Amino acid sequence: MTGRARARGRPPRQAPALLGVGDAPQQPQQPQQQPQQKPQQLQQVHVPPPQSEEPGGHGRLRGFESVLPEKRPEGLQVSSGLQDLSLRDRGGRRRDFHDLGVNTRQAMVHVQESKTGFSGRMVKLTTNHFRLTSRPQWALYQYHVGYSPEMEARRLRSALLFQHEEHIGKTHAFDGSILFLPKKLENKVTELFSRTRNGEDVKITVTLTNELPPTSPTCLQFYNIIFRRLLKMLNLQQIGRNYYNPSDPVSIPNHRLMVWLGFTSSILQYEDNIMLCADVSHKVLRGETVLDTMHSLHSQVGEERFRDTCAKELIGLIVLTRYNNRTYRIDDIDWDNSPKGTFRKSDGSEISFVEYYRKQYNIEISDWMQPVLISQMKRKRGNIQGSVALIPELCSLTGLTDKMRNDFNMMKDLAIHTRLPPEQRQREIGRLLNYIQKDDNVQKELRNWGLSFDYKSVSFTGRVVQGEKIFQSGNMFDYNPQFADWTKETRGVPLIRAVPVDSWLLIYTRRNYDVANTLLQSLFRVTPSMGIRMNKPSMIEVDDRTEAYLRVLQQRVTPETNIVFCILSSSRKDKYDAIKKYLCTDCPIPSQCVLARTLSKPQTIMTVATKIALQMNCKMGGELWSVEIPLKQVMIVGIDCYHDTVSGKQSIAGFVASLNQTVTRWFSRCVVQSRGQELVDGIKACLQTALRNWSKWNKCLPSRIFVYRDGVGDGQLNTLVNYEVPQFLDCLKSIGTDYSPRLTVIVVKKRVGARFFAEIGGGLKNPPPGTVVDTVVTRPEWYDFFIVSQTVKNGCVAPTHYNVIYDTSQLKPDHVQRLTYKLCHMYYNWSGIIRVPAPCQYAHKLAFLVGQSIHREPNLMLSDRLYYL
Amino acid sequence: MDKNFQEEFTQITRFKPPLYKQRHQFVKDLVEKYKPKKVADLGCADCSLLRMLKFCSCIEVLAGLDICANVMKEKMHTLSPLPVDYLQPSERSLTVTLHHGSVAHKDPCMLGFDLVTCIELIEHLEEPELKKFPEVVFGFMAPSIVVISTPNSEFNPLLPGVMLYRHPDHKFEWNQAQFQSWALETARCYDYSVEFTGVGHPPTGMEKAGFCTQIAVFIRKYPQTGEPLQSEKPTEAVYKTVFKAVYPSLKDEKYLQNAVISEVIFTAQIIKHRLMSKHEEYGNDPERKFKFQPSMDCFSDYLGKLVVENNMEPFVSGNEVYVPLATIFSFPKVNRLCGTFEKLCKLIAGKVTLSSDGSAVVFNIEHE
Repeated sequence: MTGRARARGRPPRQAPALLGVGDAPQQPQQPQQQPQQKPQQLQQVHVPPPQSEEPGGHGRLRGFESVLPEKRPEGLQVSSGLQDLSLRDRGGRRRDFHDLGVNTRQAMVHVQESKTGFSGRMVKLTTNHFRLTSRPQWALYQYHVGYSPEMEARRLRSALLFQHEEHIGKTHAFDGSILFLPKKLENKVTELFSRTRNGEDVKITVTLTNELPPTSPTCLQFYNIIFRRLLKMLNLQQIGRNYYNPSDPVSIPNHRLMVWLGFTSSILQYEDNIMLCADVSHKVLRGETVLDTMHSLHSQVGEERFRDTCAKELIGLIVLTRYNNRTYRIDDIDWDNSPKGTFRKSDGSEISFVEYYRKQYNIEISDWMQPVLISQMKRKRGNIQGSVALIPELCSLTGLTDKMRNDFNMMKDLAIHTRLPPEQRQREIGRLLNYIQKDDNVQKELRNWGLSFDYKSVSFTGRVVQGEKIFQSGNMFDYNPQFADWTKETRGVPLIRAVPVDSWLLIYTRRNYDVANTLLQSLFRVTPSMGIRMNKPSMIEVDDRTEAYLRVLQQRVTPETNIVFCILSSSRKDKYDAIKKYLCTDCPIPSQCVLARTLSKPQTIMTVATKIALQMNCKMGGELWSVEIPLKQVMIVGIDCYHDTVSGKQSIAGFVASLNQTVTRWFSRCVVQSRGQELVDGIKACLQTALRNWSKWNKCLPSRIFVYRDGVGDGQLNTLVNYEVPQFLDCLKSIGTDYSPRLTVIVVKKRVGARFFAEIGGGLKNPPPGTVVDTVVTRPEWYDFFIVSQTVKNGCVAPTHYNVIYDTSQLKPDHVQRLTYKLCHMYYNWSGIIRVPAPCQYAHKLAFLVGQSIHREPNLMLSDRLYYL
Repeated sequence: MDKNFQEEFTQITRFKPPLYKQRHQFVKDLVEKYKPKKVADLGCADCSLLRMLKFCSCIEVLAGLDICANVMKEKMHTLSPLPVDYLQPSERSLTVTLHHGSVAHKDPCMLGFDLVTCIELIEHLEEPELKKFPEVVFGFMAPSIVVISTPNSEFNPLLPGVMLYRHPDHKFEWNQAQFQSWALETARCYDYSVEFTGVGHPPTGMEKAGFCTQIAVFIRKYPQTGEPLQSEKPTEAVYKTVFKAVYPSLKDEKYLQNAVISEVIFTAQIIKHRLMSKHEEYGNDPERKFKFQPSMDCFSDYLGKLVVENNMEPFVSGNEVYVPLATIFSFPKVNRLCGTFEKLCKLIAGKVTLSSDGSAVVFNIEHE
């Protein structure tokens, strides 16, 4: 509603965690027979993406000889790494998306027995998890395969081994040295003899190295790969990580969009069972090429701003190509290059893009003047840091741009197709399972591996904890749990702490003079009942230019100024950015920017003015409401990250820590770090200053610290546990030898695959806010739980996952859950319950503002106020 | 039967590009030359040749046949349409099918092909299979062109490490004379002409050894046999279909309709925007005007010309914008997709909001 409302920037894919599943305790040392990698030759920058099918075509063209030992086929593969064993499917990137093998619960004695809470009333829930029922004593047999004499090429090794299918069976997975079989061979060591085409006799020794129980991380990853293979067999198309059904797309011609329905799937060990978590996923694709998009951008913004706009709109987007089944992220646009440009092929010859695509794919590039898109190859293994060049004409865009996200009509049209209500969502998931059940080939594959599923989703009971009481200046309110909102209840009630607005500036352009006056009158009407004393502002009229705004700020802001109010005539970001930057760094004064359009509707002006007044009050250090926090001497910390995809490639971590007993005041700082820098060093400094401030406010140090850590990517948990938490502890130690507060670190995750449906009145509904799930679908090796805290108007509510990775609080799980839920009530920009604890949302807001507009750390003078709201 | 790989493994030092690539390129050049619509690859193995051929725009039917289903299955999914094929369906239709079976057996699904390729196939055939092979390929399938490649045993001494045959699965390897006499006899028998060539030149001074891979190109001498003749050869289906992919194509009404609707609405919206921005210019919002400032693209010129010439101007009436279908139809992209105005009307009927007389696309602008 105000000028700050912007689409959330999309974070780039997070860097993979350091380790795979190697730390699985039951893995014996593997004899490493990985053929040694030869040094890469010809590391060519800006080569066109190769055919993925070709030997050596794994993301880059290389010297041919160097390719052979390393090449792998698409599809199923099992690979032995350096110390750890990990399975990969497409792309061959080593990632542990599900953070398997990170066992944090074992270190927490107080939750060994039970990690479940008890308060609240029971609610019957259904979920999107399906039990995996494997054969009794089902195991996967892992063999090491050795060759004598040594064979280097993986394909040759496979070819030689598979001559013996009568021995090893038709169902197998082999990566060149490790063989997985669903059945046990007769002998522990089997010797086979093959002959190469050169007539050379080769002895193959197949040695049993491991029997993997169904719950071992390797086995789990293996299930996942097999399941993905099934999806492929169902003729679903893989885009990114998920599979989509191309044959029945929804097209939205008004916006040239197409939506494919697809599925996300993951098979994991949950509390008591291995289960498949399947969810509906929608892929938004665009029926136009990147070149088309560039043309329409050109006609919209003109020559002058064309390149900047293209960069802003396109960088960070994922594209598909016309010639291979890969996705690429646009990292840069090379305006000096064109399809006429040349690159060096693996054999050393120069070829132009035009020629290459003509020869390789029979594709004629029609526009020879277009620039070239650059995509960085992220693979770190073997020190490859090349990039590929893509031709805009041959690329199709996927997903939405920020601009599209801001397009209300477009999002509305999309939501019709993508926001499925509970019943429909469950029906779509049922359809997938139905496909699986009906398809003979799929069933055969499942049978071969001895896998089967329950086709009915898991049901269990969750708890709905009681609603919180909202306290505001001696008044106590209940809210309607159905809406999880107390806007009405608290209207006209004095705030806990209303900051008087004695001296302030109201800046507007000539055209918005009337708007400014209407706003002012409305503010004067709504503020008295809140207890806010508001003087007349200095009304300043400016030209609608960034410099004009800045000049006024430089001339008119005094040390007495409480807040600066700017009415902006358009959502042009540069003006907003300039104002925010100046007032957050050079001249630290809270500021409020509002779009004139927001204020132009007479029927909503009072509501808008109310919200603006509340927001202004928070920005100046005011407090609105509170909930009961039973813990004493507690400091609550929220951390979230923002990754700048366009300029600077910075990452920003927002850090917010409570300052008072009622958890209504916050200390906020952020860390701006360039790429490659470790986040945690900055956070350590933040924690130190936060503690110093807390002790200033409370005349002592907190005895308990809760850290809610958001912005943790899939597969990063290990890093967090092994690196970040020890740093927190170090930091606390450095405060003083006799200081040892109880520390709890909770990882907050909003993007989870789990969905819960309450069985109410014979139908499936969204579970009510306050629903806590800490059984069945949680992970045994973690101290984790889900809370559904918010409500949604349409679609399915997404639960938030909380994973307590470190806890010396000795609090019962129930209390940690309750505290977490309470904190979801404390976000002052929304008089209702939100999806994450307030400190996380504050940290997100801060990081977003800095990442989008300010690009450096704001002045610390502001750090005791929510100036970024 | 990893033949491509094994050969390149030792010959990499000798041939550039690797020999298997040269063989594929040879087939591709042949396709470019003769523009066959239906192509079958016998002994397609891991489908690498098919994968290359699917990009040839003349081909509408592509089939692969192999005796080993597993080797085909390993990579058959790479023959599936790509997401982009669905997003931007192509003009041509394309069906890719993989069959599991033997070249010694006849199956009606192999009838009616224009080009049949047997790349490094015959040397893998056992004596009885090889005997039946000519009858199946030349007698039964009887395509216009057959390409057969096989190793030239005279070249083997030049290859390091080759003892007897180049691959343990090879049942024989012929010298040039053996291959040519077999080919000539076959051609004579089934009324084909044959020409010999090859890939993989011998080193200087050793020219007598001939090409490393010898190739025979057979061209049928008699004209295309009509349908009736083929039905005279009733045979039961013996091959098993292991894979089939039908590529989205504008020849399919469903995809055509989607494409047309999308293009019509998109074009109409651009016209609407132009119209609205003209209205807005008199408004007082400088930013908006800037946003829609006519740029140097040809679109506005084109639209201007149209409006002047044909009086097909879009107009605003009350809360609605009318964009005449005739205007939309005159845009090259829409025009090319539909062909006729009647077809356009038929395809968008019921899918796009039209004026009461059906002559214009209507947009409601009340909420904008």
